[in-house]
Amino acid sequence: MSNESYPASASADGIGRLQHAVSERYGRLKDLLVYSSLYLVVVAVAEVLTAMVALSLPLSLAPVVVGLVTFAVYVGDRVADADTDELSNPDQSAFVRRHGRTLSTLSAAAYGLALALSLTAGPLALAITLLPGAFWVLYASDWLPSVGARLTRLKDVLLVNSGVVAGAWAVALLGLPLAFAGAAPTATAAVVFTYFFVDTFVNTEIPNVGDRHADAAIGVSTLPVVFGVARTRRILYAVEASLGVFVAWAFFEGLLSAALAGGVLAGLAYTLAVTAFVGRTEAYSRLAIAGELKALVVLAVVLAFGV
Amino acid sequence: MNLLVPLLFVSVAVGAAAAVLAWRERPEPGATPLAGLLLGQCVWSVSIVFQLQATGVASKLFWLRFSWVGVVIIPVAWLLFALEYTGRDQFARPRYVVLLSLVPAVTVLLAATGGFHDLLYARVYTTASGAVEIREGGLWYWFIAGYTYLLGLSGVILLVDLLASEAVTFRSQGIALVVGLLAPWVTNALFIVGVLPVGAVDPTPVAFSLSGVIYLGALTRFRLLGTSPAPKKRARQFLFDRMQEGAVVVDINDHIVDINDSGIDILGVTASEVLGSPAGTVIPEYERFPEEGALSGHLTVGDASGGHPYDVTVTGITNVRGVPIGRVVTFHDISKHLRQQQRLEVLNRILRHNIRTETNVIHGYVDRFADDEDARVVKRRALRIEEIGRKGREAIELFDEGREDGEPKPLARLLERCVDGVRESHPEAVVDCDLPEEDVAVAGLLTPVFSNVLANAVEHNPCDRPRVRVTTRIEGDRVLVSVADDGPGIDDYELQVLEEGTESALVHGSGLGLWIVKWGAEIAGGDVRFAENDPTGSVVTVEVPLLDRSADDRSVANGRPSDGDRLR
Repeated sequence: MSNESYPASASADGIGRLQHAVSERYGRLKDLLVYSSLYLVVVAVAEVLTAMVALSLPLSLAPVVVGLVTFAVYVGDRVADADTDELSNPDQSAFVRRHGRTLSTLSAAAYGLALALSLTAGPLALAITLLPGAFWVLYASDWLPSVGARLTRLKDVLLVNSGVVAGAWAVALLGLPLAFAGAAPTATAAVVFTYFFVDTFVNTEIPNVGDRHADAAIGVSTLPVVFGVARTRRILYAVEASLGVFVAWAFFEGLLSAALAGGVLAGLAYTLAVTAFVGRTEAYSRLAIAGELKALVVLAVVLAFGV
Repeated sequence: MNLLVPLLFVSVAVGAAAAVLAWRERPEPGATPLAGLLLGQCVWSVSIVFQLQATGVASKLFWLRFSWVGVVIIPVAWLLFALEYTGRDQFARPRYVVLLSLVPAVTVLLAATGGFHDLLYARVYTTASGAVEIREGGLWYWFIAGYTYLLGLSGVILLVDLLASEAVTFRSQGIALVVGLLAPWVTNALFIVGVLPVGAVDPTPVAFSLSGVIYLGALTRFRLLGTSPAPKKRARQFLFDRMQEGAVVVDINDHIVDINDSGIDILGVTASEVLGSPAGTVIPEYERFPEEGALSGHLTVGDASGGHPYDVTVTGITNVRGVPIGRVVTFHDISKHLRQQQRLEVLNRILRHNIRTETNVIHGYVDRFADDEDARVVKRRALRIEEIGRKGREAIELFDEGREDGEPKPLARLLERCVDGVRESHPEAVVDCDLPEEDVAVAGLLTPVFSNVLANAVEHNPCDRPRVRVTTRIEGDRVLVSVADDGPGIDDYELQVLEEGTESALVHGSGLGLWIVKWGAEIAGGDVRFAENDPTGSVVTVEVPLLDRSADDRSVANGRPSDGDRLR
């Protein structure tokens, strides 16, 4: 009897060990994707592909360059802010500290590679590739205050902080595929730019709700710090609603295809649902990731109905 | 030429990555200039790529002229890096940066206005194959080339010290930095003399990709910027400036070349008025100073209202070949020490003369009044007071001898004398002594230490025939003298007070004997340990270093047949 039950027990142990191993590996993969900002690379590449589809641009190295720059800037930011993030995001801070030197070297190498690749598309592509890095220096690093006592990090200034991030990414997401294709900006490109700008602005303010106490402690002014959580939610509703009206107008003006307008509006509905959780959850890290993943929803709709 | 383009891409990728890493290391010394250097390299490489990509002559000329921005950043950034990295950041202040950037700024201006003059010309040629080729030259071209090499060489000279550093990390950093610079410099030199088969395109930025790889390696592997020698130079200057002793550095002709803050205070001068002056006109009695060593007696410096006495020491400075190049004169303020010595002399006189006189008087008067038990108690107490006075004198003499560094004495003779002393004062005691087999010497000031240990062992022993055993053991360059008795042992309270090192009105020992033992052992460079003896009593072990014997003591010791002749 015991002989018969032994293999069953061993099998159960084996499954348990396997489950543990899978769970451990999944945990590590999740840490790698989330804490190293790799998921943001996927999101950024999806947005560039959306822009390329919307503007009917040929396939180029633009998504690769945007992905590399996204990785470089966000990882660089997390390495630089590992100390201040300890309060608001201790797990991420611990991960970044543990792999600090590797992440720092990888992000620097990613930026160097992105710049080299952008050279193939000419000076404009190089300038646009430089833009997020230059904005990061102005936005997040302590260089600006170090050159003059009256200057402050743009990250500390209300609306300017999210505006700079949104502007830099909107230019990069739209400008790079245009530069790589050698195409001129069009009215449709302007609409896509506005969409990227507003979308990135909202996605920047959602995680700020979770960071409000830490931000207030280090003097960073964000919407939740200045207006509180409930009013921030209402402001974000208003911004998203305005974007919806703008997209509908652009569609009726013939500036956007039905597939793109549908994709953006589907994405907006998704974002409104995410925004509804602002002030009603404490899992802001997950909420921020959910907000960012909207780009995949938009790309899926655009590809499903546009191609 | 085909190979050059991908290499330029690599140069940009590696240079930009290294620049980002260097930028992140701010505010480490040298981080910002290094990022600037790598940025200059990237600008240069990018300009060449776009120059090659450009189809029209005008845009080729634009990128050629734009490349000068990167070209001229590099030497300035390199020199600033070397200055900051080697701790000479006082020369990397904005005014010097502006000064160093004047020639580069003029160069960029001349490049931008190249169409109007020939100082930095760029002439367009069409080759036999129809390709457009641009060549540069002009008077300013050679001037900026010379300027670039001058700054490059200056930076290398500053970093040469690192190559000879004792620390492997700094040596590796130095090699990485110098090789990283030499690669593009050599490439550029070969290009200028026309040896490289690259046509009119300067391949120097490609060589900078090698520099980028080396700097990346140095940043990550050798902790370039993470472990920086910059504080070393400043720390030495800081110590010199802030040391408590006054210090004046004179050259071989006795002119003052440096003086620290304390030196300025002591001499009552300002640095600007004494630097370069003959030392004799600034330092009193300078002619009395020895070439090297301590000045005999002390030097009083100060005005009529009251000067301060100083011990003066002169130390020679030599160059790497051992040739004298100057001297450092140090002034050690001994006014506190002299005041203390004065107080001890007065105290010594009171303990030696006054107390003894007063106790003698008490003794004499008591004899005249009565001869009963009360009178005997008063006489015993008077003797006790005299004993305390004697111990006090011993302590003072101990400190005096301590200042005179304790003349070496043969241990055997010193112990014999102490043992004879206790046998004489306590004939009932049985004292065994194992003298050291080797002829070794210890500080002469240990006499009261051993006397007190022996006296304690006998005096506090209530037995009719107290037994004491003295043993010695040599361990390396130290000797352990143990005194074991069969008395009641030393009270824990006494030992606790001794261990804490301080006494108060409420917490104190019963006398001075144990303090003399502890102080004496410590002044002689050793210590004292207490343990319980088996079955009863205590073992006091004094551990002190062995000293070199003086010639006189050796001759005395050699007269003893039992002594060896070993010199330590």
